[in-house]
Amino acid sequence: MSPSTWTRQQQVERTIAALALVVVIVWPTFGSAYWAHQILIETFLFGIAASSLIFLSAYGGMISLAQTALFGITGIILGNLATKGGPGGTSKGLHLGWDPTLALVFAIVATTIIGLIGGAVASRSTGIYFLMITLTYSVIATYTLGQVTKISGFSGIGGINRYTPGWIGDILAHPNRLYYIALGTAIVVYALIRFVVRTPFGISLQGVRDEPVRMSSLGYAVPLHRTLAFGLAAFIAALAGVLYAWWAGQVAPGDVDLPQTISLLIMAVIGGLVRIEGAWVGAFAFILMQNYITSNTHVPLLGFGGTLFGGSFNTIIGIIFLVIVVVSPDGLMGLWGRIFEPRRRSTEGPSIAAPAAEPTK
Amino acid sequence: MRRHKLRSWKAAAVLTLAVAGVSVWAATSLAASGARPVRVAIMTDCKGAFAFGYEYDIGGAQGAFAQFAGGKTKSHAKPSAGMTGIRAGNTPVQIVGYGCGNDTVPLAVTETKRLMEKLNADVEIGPLSGDEAVFTANYAKAHPTKTFIIGTAGSQDPTMQIHPRNMFRYYGDGAQWNAGIGEIAYKKLGWRKAAIIMDDYSFGWTSAAGMIADFCAVGGDIVKRVFPPLNTTDYAPFVRQLPNPNQVDGYFSTVGGTGTSAMLKAFEQAYGKLDPKQWIGNLFFGFLGADKVVAPKLVGAYVGGFGNMPGVHTPAADAYRSFMSKLYPKLPNDDSFVYNYYVGAKALVIGLQKSKGAVGVKLQAALPRALKSPFQISNGGIVKLDSRRQAIQDQYQLQLVKNADGSVSPTVVAYIPNVDQSFGGLFTPSSPPPGRAQPPCKKLATPWQGKIQVVTDGKVTNQVIK
Repeated sequence: MSPSTWTRQQQVERTIAALALVVVIVWPTFGSAYWAHQILIETFLFGIAASSLIFLSAYGGMISLAQTALFGITGIILGNLATKGGPGGTSKGLHLGWDPTLALVFAIVATTIIGLIGGAVASRSTGIYFLMITLTYSVIATYTLGQVTKISGFSGIGGINRYTPGWIGDILAHPNRLYYIALGTAIVVYALIRFVVRTPFGISLQGVRDEPVRMSSLGYAVPLHRTLAFGLAAFIAALAGVLYAWWAGQVAPGDVDLPQTISLLIMAVIGGLVRIEGAWVGAFAFILMQNYITSNTHVPLLGFGGTLFGGSFNTIIGIIFLVIVVVSPDGLMGLWGRIFEPRRRSTEGPSIAAPAAEPTK
Repeated sequence: MRRHKLRSWKAAAVLTLAVAGVSVWAATSLAASGARPVRVAIMTDCKGAFAFGYEYDIGGAQGAFAQFAGGKTKSHAKPSAGMTGIRAGNTPVQIVGYGCGNDTVPLAVTETKRLMEKLNADVEIGPLSGDEAVFTANYAKAHPTKTFIIGTAGSQDPTMQIHPRNMFRYYGDGAQWNAGIGEIAYKKLGWRKAAIIMDDYSFGWTSAAGMIADFCAVGGDIVKRVFPPLNTTDYAPFVRQLPNPNQVDGYFSTVGGTGTSAMLKAFEQAYGKLDPKQWIGNLFFGFLGADKVVAPKLVGAYVGGFGNMPGVHTPAADAYRSFMSKLYPKLPNDDSFVYNYYVGAKALVIGLQKSKGAVGVKLQAALPRALKSPFQISNGGIVKLDSRRQAIQDQYQLQLVKNADGSVSPTVVAYIPNVDQSFGGLFTPSSPPPGRAQPPCKKLATPWQGKIQVVTDGKVTNQVIK
């Protein structure tokens, strides 16, 4: 499909995407280091985690609250395997001192297997029951990490970013490497999801989402599709987990607890649960607010308690969340899509008055 | 076609706004990184179990800046209102921000990065809590040009197992604070078998490690260890795991913050009235409001130390109290939540004077390895740092007593000079850090064994605890 055949929306979006890509590629050279190493890396990695949630929701009809848990499990596995103890080493965890590359591969594979097992258990559930099962996974992960102090404890494991593979090098001395790894991973994950949903598996997964009974009657293995989708989402969450462990240096049960689980869901909802791009848009919006709404934020007329809502990030994010859910249930991506909606109606007729964002496109 | 153009304009407007917004944010961030005075951040907690520490910690640090660097507070009632005019020698010092943690690691990550990378602080004084300090130690190791002076966190790991070169602590860790309390339990209360209930995180473990090591060193036995998570609200399931009062001689507690009172209440509901002779707590039995809630139920109970000396008067201690009470009259200045930040900031002023305003490695080399501290009696009032930049500090064990006005407060009953972090070699950089099962209970010789001096009416005597 050449640019001349793109719709107006596609033209605008792809131009913005190309511009955004250029901006983020050159940012470490010309932009603020804080933005590069804090705001944007966090956006990339939490966007990856949120994309796993949106993938399951948009193409599998499954809203999973387990993605944060899987993300944290990867970090804890990596931390236990790769770090070393002794004087000057990390103070918590098994610190087995594996080769970091081996630890990295093992952590991702193990998390994917855990995801497949979890997906198999939850695959016959839908709707609120699926949500509850995956919430249970999240709670199990939080308390397992908190209570099993040999592998984590409430303090978690620190110093993970000192044990990166040799082919990556020292990301502490060269933080731009982590930036580009996170950016590259985000692009690959985006492309992977776009590819998968166009494969026969992806198409039948969308069939499972829309008409599970009919798909089952046609001979498709509905639970298997859901399990594999959950496994793929676990793999994607694992990639985000590795990036987080390297970025923060520390992974603790607090990273996978209920507030963090809800935070990831909020990122996905703010971005929009119907389009993969929404993952990074939502993550960017959330992380911007998280970093700039503090106890020192002063906004005229909204100075409750002296600062903006007393500097309460949770209050403000709650209000924004509420507004988005009411105004645009499809999040910021849905809002964006509405700009083009009337034109589509006027030129293509009312019969194609499709939702603002179409997952299959 | 018109509509088409309208939509395009809308898209272009959104794009322009987005680009403009990003540019403004970026410009703000870049502007913050220009030439400037020494930038200091104070990291503490304003949420969670230790939220009360926010003003205390900021007040402590700013007290030293006011006393030794000419700082002018903006409010005598609210330290977090800020301070201006700080100069260490010829070097202007700017407080660039206050960190707001909640005693958990994830928020410590965000707040530390905000202070050190967004606000571009050269030096952090903090954090407040144990797990936060473990994270900060790892962070410090990764950022060798930044300097970290621990605020009042008591976990052992930062200066024992992790010990980054750019991290300093000018007071004892949680185990050091409790040196001697086990021996007091053994000799004064006749305990032989005890149980311990400890907060399930770095400080709870370190504080418990001091009690366990000291009690077992003289021949006591810890028969049960129970670990409620930090921020627990219902302690009933945990106190039920403790042995009955008739099965042990006593209980040690390192449950802190908002949990101390709730835990003791749950114990009362399970086993009846509290017996002060059967309870020894760490600092959370006597400070931070516990003197009003917990202490009245436990008059006569012994309490582990906090590196401070309530009721003991020396010229240096009284001068500190007098200065701080004028600067911030509402702060509990005898409390180490204030005092530990104060000594950290004092050390920073001395270091900056010596380094002539240089930061990074030069400041780290210039920071004092011996510091005159108000609550130190031995060595002419000087606290020395060991090779891992951890203080070797006098410790004072406490007892809850009823005052003439009916209030209850901790008072010093015992004194141990120059307590170091190792407990006679039990804790080393290669030993596992304090945890649920660490240290094991074993007899050993601590340097102060049999030498703990009795303190009566605020005076150190030559008598020893028998």
